[in-house]
Amino acid sequence: MSGKRKRRRIFHAVFYSFAGFLFLYSAYLFLSNLDQLFVTEAAIQTREITSWGDDREVLNQFGGGFWKDPYFWKSLNLTVVITLITTLIASMLGIPTAYAISRYRIPGMSVVEILFSSLIVMPGSVIGICLIVMFNYGPLWKLQNALGFRFAHSIFPGMVIASLVLSFALGLSAWKAAFDSVNPRFEHVARSLGSSRWRAFRTVTFPLAKGGIIAGIILAWTRAMAEFSAVLFFCGTFHELPASRFSDFTRLLQMDQADWVSVAVWAQVEFGNIEYAFALAFVLVLIGGMSVYVMHRIGAKGYVW
Amino acid sequence: MNMALGSRGGWWPALCVGTAVTIVAVYLLLVASNWIYLGWHDTLYFFSKSRMWERFWLTVWTSTVSTSFSLLIGIPSGYALSRFRFPCHHLVASVIDLPIVVSPAVVGAFLFGVTTRFPFDWISEYYGVYIGRNVYGVLLVQFTVTAAFCARLMKASFDMIPTRFESVSRSLGASPMRTFFKVVLPMAKNGIIASMIVVWARAAAEWEGLMLFVGATEGKTDIMPFAIYLDWNGGMMGWVTSMSIVCILMAVSAITAMRMIGGRSNVW
Amino acid sequence: MKKINTMVVFLVIFSFFLVAQTYGTEKSLLFHAGLGQRMALNEIKEVFEKRYPDTKVNFSYKGSGYFIADITRSEQGDLFMPGEEFYLLQAVERGFLTDYNPKTDVPAYFVTVIITPKGNPKNIKAIEDFAKPGIRVGLGNPKSCAIGIWHEKTFKKAGIWEKVKANATLSAKCIPELGNATQHKAIDGTIVWATTAVLYLRDVDIIPIEYRYRGIIRLPVGVLKFARYREEAQKLMDFILSEEGRGIFQKHAYAVNPGIPIGKEGFCLDGTTDKFMEYLVNAAKAVKDESFPVTKETVGDLAEEVLRQRKTERAGD
Repeated sequence: MSGKRKRRRIFHAVFYSFAGFLFLYSAYLFLSNLDQLFVTEAAIQTREITSWGDDREVLNQFGGGFWKDPYFWKSLNLTVVITLITTLIASMLGIPTAYAISRYRIPGMSVVEILFSSLIVMPGSVIGICLIVMFNYGPLWKLQNALGFRFAHSIFPGMVIASLVLSFALGLSAWKAAFDSVNPRFEHVARSLGSSRWRAFRTVTFPLAKGGIIAGIILAWTRAMAEFSAVLFFCGTFHELPASRFSDFTRLLQMDQADWVSVAVWAQVEFGNIEYAFALAFVLVLIGGMSVYVMHRIGAKGYVW
Repeated sequence: MNMALGSRGGWWPALCVGTAVTIVAVYLLLVASNWIYLGWHDTLYFFSKSRMWERFWLTVWTSTVSTSFSLLIGIPSGYALSRFRFPCHHLVASVIDLPIVVSPAVVGAFLFGVTTRFPFDWISEYYGVYIGRNVYGVLLVQFTVTAAFCARLMKASFDMIPTRFESVSRSLGASPMRTFFKVVLPMAKNGIIASMIVVWARAAAEWEGLMLFVGATEGKTDIMPFAIYLDWNGGMMGWVTSMSIVCILMAVSAITAMRMIGGRSNVW
Repeated sequence: MKKINTMVVFLVIFSFFLVAQTYGTEKSLLFHAGLGQRMALNEIKEVFEKRYPDTKVNFSYKGSGYFIADITRSEQGDLFMPGEEFYLLQAVERGFLTDYNPKTDVPAYFVTVIITPKGNPKNIKAIEDFAKPGIRVGLGNPKSCAIGIWHEKTFKKAGIWEKVKANATLSAKCIPELGNATQHKAIDGTIVWATTAVLYLRDVDIIPIEYRYRGIIRLPVGVLKFARYREEAQKLMDFILSEEGRGIFQKHAYAVNPGIPIGKEGFCLDGTTDKFMEYLVNAAKAVKDESFPVTKETVGDLAEEVLRQRKTERAGD
């Protein structure tokens, strides 16, 4: 008997160790960089030489003094507002699309599935390039010239579109799985009892698929927050532009002179403000971690990012 | 569907299908825009340059190496996450998922911090193998991003296999190891193949981590997506669009291969 | 199932072989350079590696402002060639370079020039036109980009810095971003180095600045104190400073004549570089128009560049 117990123990130990390795690797990756938030002596000396302007004192504090800097809060505000808008648009477009793909046999369905799956594994820079080529050349460019504003390098249409591409694709996958899990029979029963299609959807299918739909919304929001390359290519940064360049509406929402947070991390690293960059990065990690935890707790099964 | 469009509430299916068709058309235009911009003549010109295929080969072999290491670690981890119940297992699963949820740029920044300390500086001092601005850095970044992804995919596919088969096998006298290799793995065959291909495609698409951590060395560390960024900064639109076409073709063919071999055409 | 097992095992073993094949015993130099110098430095690397086959050169390109922070943190690097002397002097101050000689260690110079999108939609002819209301100007960020300093200097000399700042649409992290934005018509005009402008000949129009406001920027190169292979690094530096190296720079639209009269702030004192500007403008015309003759008189040393860019319909290669 003890031989069998030992074998089982070894089996458990081996498999736990693999999972444990991944856990420790990930934890180490994030926790060991906490000390990057503290300013070192070498960094102060470097900043003496290189810094422009009088933000040196602020930057020499913990985390680059991020809580005092309005840029930090405005960037966070900008990112959260834009991702919420993106998630809203993705849901409004994605839930009907997922319902159509799940229930109705559209010709060329396999092409659609392959298309959306490959978007998820495609490099972000390719998506950024596709967006720039699509909007800045050809007939769409002439349309933009006629309307008088541009999609690229702008906050409102630009950033929303850039984060919408992948957020929609991922949300679609989750919503399709949610609708697939609801037996169509229930709808047929409802319809045979006299309700219209919309009513059947609203009162029967939607509540049954609610868990999956909520999981899809959280997934779409998380993916929109993690977008980097498409926003970088399509919109660039807005930090140093004069305030007069932004519209009153943007200034009202406190979104002028701010950047998307992932792009801000990259920009601050390029400037050499490593502590500030890591502060921004940790904020992103916290937000991402919380939404992943929520996804696990509500029991979302089988969704991959 | 045909008979019902005119009847009560027929607008709902029309709305759904209309939205679906429009969105799909927009996405197809997005993906094909590179091709339309570049034109046939220029495409052939760029495809005939050896620089393109050097980078392609670099992408292919680095992705293959990282995929094999990720599979090695990801399959047992996925099994452990799927079958074993240990305290705080939601927390553990969240922490493992963290590198794939946050933006890869952030992962690159963190890796940059990690490689300057134990155990990496110990490795580079004692073994002379220096992980950083060279191909080993690329492998490290790809591994970080894909190992957790692989574990997640494998967990999903192990979740779909009922535990009853393992219980039966154990009750017939097989040891847990033997059960795993002879019963569970063959049933997860489709899942493993699908994971292998998707993880490979994801590794080939990883570049933001490289930008922040590895830096650009022409020919040694510029895998395809990173080369697109570098050439974009050089204004070489022809190279950029032709390499985008190659990347798109790589992603699409990987997913198509997964569909044909594994029988499932979606990642979820 | 056995097939899958053997496939995975084979993959792992194959991976080890692939990784091992890259572990060579060659010396590889780490060269920190500004992103704007990529094309010329790539050519220099090819010639150098052919001459000394067991030395490889790896470039680490980044925006100019990030060099000091990166070198401080990683303490690695053999050679250093930022986009402006200013950043090298910072490194000297920090103690990273020990023997920098301003008279001899400068292989090439940048020259500033105006570029606009193809067709010059807002009809920009001189520096003063940037202050007109409604022009979308692209500026560089001096914290990370070498040309930011020169934007400020040039417009301040012309007395229109405040107005131009109000017109700013893009604050670029690195100079290729400015070139890209012009290529994609996201801005109406900007000032860049001639070296950057020459990359976009098909999609931009080049307008020379009058020599009063034309800047000549010194581009020094130096060996860092952290160099792992000091001899090879010195050999590469000597090659860059030699006639052959300077010739390669000249082909990519750098100015290599050390005798250009430069004022105290770095602006030209006379029209010595006017011929160079004329070559550049002709080169832009030649790439767009197949019938334009490409000779030594019309485009000088840029002939190779022009012919290379003519081969494709879209900018590239």
